[in-house]
Amino acid sequence: MGDFNIFHHMPWSSTYSIYFFVIGISSALFFFSMLSWFRQEFEPLRKSAFYVSFALMVVGGLLLIVDLSQPLRFLNMLNPSYLNFTSPLAWGGMNLLSFGAVSAAYYWMMRKNDETDSRRLAVLGSILALGLPVYTGFDLTVHQNRPVWNTPLMPILFVAMSLLSGAAVASFLAGTHEKLLAMLRRFMLWSAGAVGVMLVSLLGTTAYGGVGQELTFMFMTTGTLGTIFIGVGMLLGTAAPIALLLAPFGKQQQGMMIAAVLILVGGMALRYSILVGGQIVQTYF
Amino acid sequence: MSELRTSSIETRGKPGLKRYAMVIDLRRCIGCDACMTACKAEFDVPLGVFRTWVPYKVVGVYPTVRKHFMPRLCNHCDDPPCVRSCPVGATYKVEDGGFVLQHYDRCIGCKACMASCPYNARFMLPKSRTYTDITHVVDKCTFCHHRVTQGLAPACVVTCIGRARIFGDINDPSSEVSKLVSTLPTQVLRPEEGTKPHVFYIGVDRNLSEPSRAIYNPLDVLEEDRRAFNKNHKG
Ligand code: SF4
Ligand code: SF4
Repeated sequence: MGDFNIFHHMPWSSTYSIYFFVIGISSALFFFSMLSWFRQEFEPLRKSAFYVSFALMVVGGLLLIVDLSQPLRFLNMLNPSYLNFTSPLAWGGMNLLSFGAVSAAYYWMMRKNDETDSRRLAVLGSILALGLPVYTGFDLTVHQNRPVWNTPLMPILFVAMSLLSGAAVASFLAGTHEKLLAMLRRFMLWSAGAVGVMLVSLLGTTAYGGVGQELTFMFMTTGTLGTIFIGVGMLLGTAAPIALLLAPFGKQQQGMMIAAVLILVGGMALRYSILVGGQIVQTYF
Repeated sequence: MSELRTSSIETRGKPGLKRYAMVIDLRRCIGCDACMTACKAEFDVPLGVFRTWVPYKVVGVYPTVRKHFMPRLCNHCDDPPCVRSCPVGATYKVEDGGFVLQHYDRCIGCKACMASCPYNARFMLPKSRTYTDITHVVDKCTFCHHRVTQGLAPACVVTCIGRARIFGDINDPSSEVSKLVSTLPTQVLRPEEGTKPHVFYIGVDRNLSEPSRAIYNPLDVLEEDRRAFNKNHKG
């Protein structure tokens, strides 16, 4: 603005993007574990996907807590007289907690070999798992003053990114089960396609938006952030894996592994640049 | 002068309720920063953060130039996005008066309110302070709630040498702010965000009021300072 001593920083730091990344993977892996009760080819993933999902959920929860300036006060989120339901964060906190509780119960039922209850909990947990990327998207969408975030695309984009990164991690857990690998390859292809289409439309609406959007577009397509968003996120992490998976080499396990690594690197880059992109322009106000 | 009320939280024009507002007459502001200083003293506002600040921009080409000041503070919005985005109700609006305030002992420091405020009015307090034990939670201007409820004007208003800041109840048609807002052309910042700000400006310059114009021609020296600031202040 001109006054030399007043600057503003971005409220949400990169820790949030790591949270978005791990919680997205966690929720998709739970979904794959649930599928194992209904689709035979997913059976090898039942336990391994669930264990990784659980571990990542714990890591995600800890990241959220550590990022608070008053970490111990996360308990305030459990106080019904404090909760403010116009905030997506309040819904998200409850969603995460109930997902954790259902995950724990699911683990218990699987140990007891109780198939009926395991199935039920798997379905319930998957619905809650779906809520995680949806609410993270809403977390951003509701800020009407933030370009890139304030679009109805966000919750759907986060669901697609969650499936994409989750399928990439699952392909490492799938071993040599061919049918499963083929299914995961399909998951990767379709969700990468969906992410790609949404990113292009996001870029379009941002580029043709108002002044704030135009400038955000400028930041997100040039310089360091441009390299991360366009270079790593869109080209290396979305377009390249699609091309690789469509090629004959992409049908082999090795090809899939390479695509999965690219998808994961790209997934992190996309979440980071979307988080930061929405905040840059306002730091100049 | 009446406003379209779109949300039940809005109290502008509601009978029986006060709705405090500030008018900042930029024709009178000389950029002395006395308001910033008074605010710092009133609240022991720590280094590096501000409840009110006075950005300026030199506009024009020499010798036809003018230095524009535009004091900033929390707009005590009538429909404040910071209140609706706080997950634990740590930021709230006082119905009678329209103050947007903080429960410091309740704030968990998630910074959702900072993300949702279109005006950068909120900041994170440092981990330790010398005289005040409110630390490491979000803070902002309170419209001097403690003074106003005792019949005093906010510290920045009292100290303003040019009488550029005028404070009062806009729901009272005979108050000075009501008269100014009714009879003079005023602007609020970023009205398109739907926040219904209650800081009204007279004679604002768009170089200062449009959020992104500072990006067009950033001064190199400012960019260096900005980088240094960002290194020391992480979200
Ligand atoms: S200016 Fe910002 S902090 Fe103040 S009431 Fe409005 S949204 Fe909230
Ligand atoms: S930082 Fe504090 S006041 Fe702001 S939204 Fe979070 S809990 Fe509420």
